[in-house]
Amino acid sequence: MKISIPTAERDSGSSAHTVGARSLLRIVRLTTSCLATSCLTMCVSLVSANSTHAMPPEATNVLVIDEPGDSGFALRVMWTVPDPTVTKQARVERSATTSERAANPDEAWIEVATVDAAAGVSGLLIDGLPKSSTDPTTTEPIAVRVGLVGTDEETAAFVESEAVVAVRNIFLIKRLGLAVALVVVCGSVIVWILLSRTGRSVKIRRIAALDAVDEAVGRATEMGRPVLFVPGIQDMTDIQTVAGITVLGRVARTAAEYDATLEVPTSRSIVMTAARETVQAAHFSAGRPETYNQGNINYITDEQFGYVAYVTGRMVRDKPAACFYMGAFYAESLLLAENGNAIGAIQIAGTAEPSQLPFFVAACDYTLIGEEFFAASAYLSGERDQLGSIKGQDLGKLFVAAAILIGCALATIAVFVPEGSVARASLSFQSFFGG
Amino acid sequence: MSTSKPARTGDYRLLWTSLLVFGLVGLSLNAFGRKAGMANRFVEIESMERIEVADVSTVVAGSSRTAIPEITEWVDPKDPRIAAGAVKPIPGVAPITWQVRSLVSAKDAAATDEARANGDASAPEIVRSPIDSIGVWVAAFLTLGIFSFLYRDNPWYKIAESVLIGVSAAYWMTNAFWSTLVPNLFGKLVPDIVREIAIPKLLPSESPNADFALAVVPLILGFMLIWRLAPRGGWISVWPIAFIIGTTAGLKLVSAVEADLVAQAVATMKPLVVLAQSSESATTAANTINFWGTVGSVVGLIGVMTVLVYFFFSLEHKGAVGKTARVGVWFLMITFGSAFGLTVMGRITLLAQRFEFLFNDWLNIG
Amino acid sequence: MLQRTIPILILAASGALLIIAYFSPFTTSWGEVVVDWFNVLAAVAYVLGAGNLLAVNLEKVSARRAGWAYALLTLLSFGAMLAFGLFKIGAVPNADNPNVHFAGSYESTQSAFGWVYEYILSPLTATMFALLAFYVASAAFRAFRAKNLEAILLLGTAFIILLAQTAAGMFLTGWIPEASMFAFLRLDWMKVAITEHIQTAGMRAITIGIALGIAATSLRLILGIDKSYLSKN
Repeated sequence: MKISIPTAERDSGSSAHTVGARSLLRIVRLTTSCLATSCLTMCVSLVSANSTHAMPPEATNVLVIDEPGDSGFALRVMWTVPDPTVTKQARVERSATTSERAANPDEAWIEVATVDAAAGVSGLLIDGLPKSSTDPTTTEPIAVRVGLVGTDEETAAFVESEAVVAVRNIFLIKRLGLAVALVVVCGSVIVWILLSRTGRSVKIRRIAALDAVDEAVGRATEMGRPVLFVPGIQDMTDIQTVAGITVLGRVARTAAEYDATLEVPTSRSIVMTAARETVQAAHFSAGRPETYNQGNINYITDEQFGYVAYVTGRMVRDKPAACFYMGAFYAESLLLAENGNAIGAIQIAGTAEPSQLPFFVAACDYTLIGEEFFAASAYLSGERDQLGSIKGQDLGKLFVAAAILIGCALATIAVFVPEGSVARASLSFQSFFGG
Repeated sequence: MSTSKPARTGDYRLLWTSLLVFGLVGLSLNAFGRKAGMANRFVEIESMERIEVADVSTVVAGSSRTAIPEITEWVDPKDPRIAAGAVKPIPGVAPITWQVRSLVSAKDAAATDEARANGDASAPEIVRSPIDSIGVWVAAFLTLGIFSFLYRDNPWYKIAESVLIGVSAAYWMTNAFWSTLVPNLFGKLVPDIVREIAIPKLLPSESPNADFALAVVPLILGFMLIWRLAPRGGWISVWPIAFIIGTTAGLKLVSAVEADLVAQAVATMKPLVVLAQSSESATTAANTINFWGTVGSVVGLIGVMTVLVYFFFSLEHKGAVGKTARVGVWFLMITFGSAFGLTVMGRITLLAQRFEFLFNDWLNIG
Repeated sequence: MLQRTIPILILAASGALLIIAYFSPFTTSWGEVVVDWFNVLAAVAYVLGAGNLLAVNLEKVSARRAGWAYALLTLLSFGAMLAFGLFKIGAVPNADNPNVHFAGSYESTQSAFGWVYEYILSPLTATMFALLAFYVASAAFRAFRAKNLEAILLLGTAFIILLAQTAAGMFLTGWIPEASMFAFLRLDWMKVAITEHIQTAGMRAITIGIALGIAATSLRLILGIDKSYLSKN
């Protein structure tokens, strides 16, 4: 930096006799400059009565872009603050659209927000803009203007941007992390299905609850008692019900082979229809189409406790030897399982409703916990493709476990070095997946 | 253990009959012997009246109802707009009157009685409601019927069960009719008719043709589903089922990965070391390690990992995998136990509410 | 073809379409449209449910099968409630449109439908729900008899959590100072430790597993690998 030394001092000491005259000259100079400053200040005060400081400089580089990868109707405005020391906030306004001007002709600009001046670096998102009258997926061209507000509330002149149209994009960029996760999970499953077709071993560990299905149906047959299958209390819009119905297909096939009576009370009309379709299919594939009786699959009532009143009553009267509870269950889980226990039935439950798992675990002989329930129909089918898909689930699990371990490790390091690149990596890693 | 069972018929019949007689006598004494009575229900009666009015400019003296334009409304006769002359009653249209009866608690009823006795004319009209009292008796009968199942299956329970099935099935069907079919199907297919007979305030659609087309799709799918009842071609019902399963699979696949998988995995990515925030200084140097917090985080991560190992299907639970999975099972059991323990109190509260109903609302001895 | 190939195609197309639709702002609301469709479809499907309920019970009554009187009771309650609701018998007129009968509300006990709801349906369902208090006790007792480590963990934890929620918890361990090194013996401390760390971890792992299970199940259906819903006639 170049430092300029005042002339008076630079020459000091060159000759002693001139000191007195120079000092006098300095006083005169100082007095003159003070007077001049005072006069200037007074003039400024007269022009701008409520300000005693300089106005902040105008914003520069005011740039408006259409927000990328969004659902439209949003613009992002960015600006540069030339002198942050005297600038406090930024007032952002946008141009009114044709319809807004028609409604309110005096208002050419609409105030958007007054934000911290530094927000211009990352940009301010202006969303919820009105749609254009011609194309419902875009806006009219909209201009934005930014006026910087000084530390003393003084506002510099507005700087206007070019008018930009906010359009709706094809892909939602905020769901990119989800898309990646989806590709990884689905990719794992698909890769394993393909591998299973090339002859790779698709050996799966034993799942005791599923190995017991044959035993339970066999026992019912021996005892001459029916098998009860409860597909939960939700409709087909719950994937658990869909999974329950696919398990029903396997149980029905075993029952058809053993010639056991299978009763399926349902609490939804569409579930009844789907269950009938599935059980009929099972009888065909078991080569026993003549034994299919749709009268064993009935709609009871949509009401949770009405349904359970029927099923528990039915249980104590018919005394099924095997009870299956496969689907979405709520409070009724324990009513069913305890009554099943009281009649001495073999009970196999499967649900992905975490709140009900404790009750099934406590009261049933076997419980398929969450993911096991979803693997059940694939496991019971014994088909290579389906077993391969279970292996794919495992591969997905490995990826998730690895991601969790990496995330934990990064977060732990970030605790000790909060400002470092690891901390930034940790944050980006989590926020990419929406954390 | 050998015990000689008593001869069931003689002994038990006597026992149950005497219990029944004793109960009935007790109930009768409670209902008629006490001044307070039982199963009391009170309702507040509010009289309503509405008259049909139209904008004053459209009502011409002597004109009949048919001459009045469509835009009319039903208002309270005391509506200030009538006095102000903005709207005018339509001649020849009779006012509609009715009563609104809303249930009030016995306590409120007693307070209002007292206020009326003290000459407070503004106190609302509260009367005993026999129809609601009958309702309390019915409810008590059915409540006890359900409880009787705890002893064993019996005709009383069977009555309660049969009524419950019939009533609840009809309840949900009626609800579906009025809250789904009427506004979302008929309201889009024939909005004018729906406005006239069921929902006068049904808003006109911005794009009636698109709404009509969108409403027709589920109707067609519904017909395909119902086609099962037809003697031939019942297989067509598989199409809507395939559509439902397909859409469910598509929607749930995405939502499960987004809301469960990714969200839970990210929530697990927490630092294993927890620092104790010093109250005097917020700087890192002044922080010490929070022992229990750190243990909790480490245990949490071990829990997630071991349970995931338990769910691993590719490897048999033997050796190291088996031991890890075993730890996972312990975590699962503690998780279930905790959820179990947290639920118990709620269930007992529900039971207490039923007893409250029986003792307070019905027997009136609470 | 009509009975097998087309349903498989419908399933695959609708599933795949909704997955892709979620990622584009142009189509992200398709999911909601489909849910609306489903609600209408489910309402239409009540014809099947009601038909089945009537058929089963009428058959029981006409054949005088065991328990036919109960079937008759079901039929009567079903018919009565349906009539009360569909015709809005005794409905309270809508204050803005008292002239339109079907605009009235049937929620209050003044209407027949509301009365049945208040004094029959509601107490019946509430009592069924309340039965759970007894079954929770019997399930706990059952778990208590199973003498293995898993059962002990489940029941022991349930016991600790239950005690910590009641005054007994405070009475038993409340005297241990919170600041002492034995604070972890306090039941309220244990409850927080179990629910915040172990239960959260367990539930997280279960949820992650469920999500993977849902993904794989959905894929098996969309890819046409699982066709168990298709009959083969």
